Amino acid sequence: MSSTSSSSLQMGELVADKHVRYILMAEKKKESFESVLMDHLRMNGAYWGLTTLALLDKLGSVSVDEVVSWLMTCQHESGGFAGNTGHDPHLLYTLSALQILALFDKLDILDVGKVSSYVACLQNEDGSFSGDMWGEVDTRFSYISICCLSILKCLDKINVKKAVDYIVSCKNRDGGFGCTPGAESHAGQSALAITGSLHHVDKDLLGWWLCERQVKSGGLNGRPEKLPDVCYSWWVLSSLIMIDRVHWIDKAKFVKFILNCQDLENGGISDRPNDAVDIYHTYFGVAGLSLLEYRGVQAIDPAYALPVDVINRIILNR
Amino acid sequence: MGQGSCSQEDSFDLLNQFEHVLDSDPLIDEVGFIHPSQFTLLDKEAGSSSDGTSPSFWNQDHKLGISSDILIQLCKAAKHAFLAALNEYKRHENASSESLTENISSGVSCCSLASKVMKHSQAVLLLSSDFGTAWNARKLILSKQNQHLEAFTDELRLSRLILSNSPKSEATWSHRRWIIKMISRSFSTPQEIITKESELVESIGERSKMNYRAWYHRCWLVSYMIIEQVIQELNKSKRWAGLHVADSSCFHYRRRLMLRVLESLKVKGSNANDKTEAHKIWMEELDWNKELVKRYLGREALWLHRRFLSLNWIMYFCRNQSSETGESIFMNKETGIFFDKEIHLLESSMTVPDNKFEDFQAQALHASVYILWLTKHIPELWRMLEEKLGTEKLKCVLDTVDQERPSLLLHQIDTFAAKQ
Repeated sequence: MSSTSSSSLQMGELVADKHVRYILMAEKKKESFESVLMDHLRMNGAYWGLTTLALLDKLGSVSVDEVVSWLMTCQHESGGFAGNTGHDPHLLYTLSALQILALFDKLDILDVGKVSSYVACLQNEDGSFSGDMWGEVDTRFSYISICCLSILKCLDKINVKKAVDYIVSCKNRDGGFGCTPGAESHAGQSALAITGSLHHVDKDLLGWWLCERQVKSGGLNGRPEKLPDVCYSWWVLSSLIMIDRVHWIDKAKFVKFILNCQDLENGGISDRPNDAVDIYHTYFGVAGLSLLEYRGVQAIDPAYALPVDVINRIILNR
Repeated sequence: MGQGSCSQEDSFDLLNQFEHVLDSDPLIDEVGFIHPSQFTLLDKEAGSSSDGTSPSFWNQDHKLGISSDILIQLCKAAKHAFLAALNEYKRHENASSESLTENISSGVSCCSLASKVMKHSQAVLLLSSDFGTAWNARKLILSKQNQHLEAFTDELRLSRLILSNSPKSEATWSHRRWIIKMISRSFSTPQEIITKESELVESIGERSKMNYRAWYHRCWLVSYMIIEQVIQELNKSKRWAGLHVADSSCFHYRRRLMLRVLESLKVKGSNANDKTEAHKIWMEELDWNKELVKRYLGREALWLHRRFLSLNWIMYFCRNQSSETGESIFMNKETGIFFDKEIHLLESSMTVPDNKFEDFQAQALHASVYILWLTKHIPELWRMLEEKLGTEKLKCVLDTVDQERPSLLLHQIDTFAAKQ
């Protein structure tokens, strides 16, 4: 494409087609630097890419069978999923696997009992969750477990009350939640939303901390004094929506920031303007725009990080 | 680059070369990926002449450089070798656990299989530090039998080496925590190990600013510290913090330490001396923070730190002994004196002599938001603020906030409307 065509684009438009092409080409490039060094988290990469395609209404461009058959080779005998074939299982990849199957409406190929047992067994005495058998605890894993079991409709397999109590114990004075008690604030309220325990959140306080993440350029950072990064559009925004405080940030400015992070020539979105693009930030950028109801992007559920129509399908089935 | 044309043999040759370099220099303390054009430059700096035979690796003074040209090839070879060795090891483990007879030769091959896994996983992790399966394999092997402390300290050395190139690698930090847990389970947790971990984070924090994983690790260590060590840490890390006033992770770490001090007071057996000490620590931190806030204008991290310090000061150190009198447990003489000083600080921060410098405006904003934040937590303070500032100055404060963060005023209106 010549440079004239990109400069003739209106300032501030989502080049959806370019992003779709970028993702489809990345899926194929197995020999690229990024691909080889990141092949242990291919499952996550697949989720990011496929969900973005779904949000841009282009999920039909991929071969369902190809993806699903590869996905199933990543399932471990314990029931959990690994990042790639022959690797060890972990909650992180298990959620991505379930989300991908949900996108394709193929959850029924799973042995639900097996997967849910894998997840449930990772709950500890104090209600927290480990990421895998090696024991690292983090509220992210609480969120992931609750999300997994919610998708599989097996929340009763864990002690929900203890899980919620543990997350609440990670609440900091600044209103945010850390990954373990006393840790710096990050994101854990998604879990509370799904379990319907949002009343544990001081919405004003959390909203305060979250809206302070917006910087002059309109972008959002993840912590004080840090540069804005497109991926925080998801974490901060989805949290604000769940606590009904999204009007506390300047939405128009934020949309502009995300759009400025696009590579208008080759597609893809980067962490901030003029940096290199990657699938991770492409997904979060598009997902952020979805939350802001950007024209042409399908609606995404802030708690499950899946298109709303996919969640509706799950809830209405069975 | 012609990578596609490299044979499998070439790849394994490369892997062997790599592993040989690692073996021959067990004291390597830093590793990095280098563009091949840098090799001659490095040789020049080191004063050695390049013999042109090994453009893939550079090893001098216990530093290891890996040519970015061969990274992909090497990584693939290492992963392949590792996974093969791991599968063989697991198969062997399963087989021998099923057989009932003691087989000495199988014991020997088991050891050599394990060391193969360790050798290849080390290679992989130096290239791809977040490859969890490789870390897990090492955990699996280290979990077996009675390991000497040395095995674990060796592991700490390897992960430190990996962190030199990948300071943000979550899997590496997580592995360190696992090792420390293992050490404390089988041996006592020498205070020395905790101290060294803390120092490691600080040195990494120098090169990798506000590294969440590193600082999280340091916070995690706090639960393994005795209270004397906590206070020591507060003192030791103060200088670094004063030189990195924009590093909010570093101040969060101080908050973690201070919370631990507070927690220790709530435990049975704590006495008046402990409370006096805590009181002193808190006051010193408040005074020091005030100095920094006045010296380094507009630093968000410093004002956020003050929020925590002030809130806890009021809620813990100023509170009335008994909360049965019916009046607010926080509104007493001490709180009054303290908040008065904070208002003075606010007033001096509101002076914006020069609209050209963003720092002055940022200072005014942070100070205003700070005071509002306190009144949000302790609504009784609002009246005092109104009285002391007067209408005009108060309006100025609210206007300052309205300009940058109008949404923070939204709920204020609700709060105060409800009270009318």
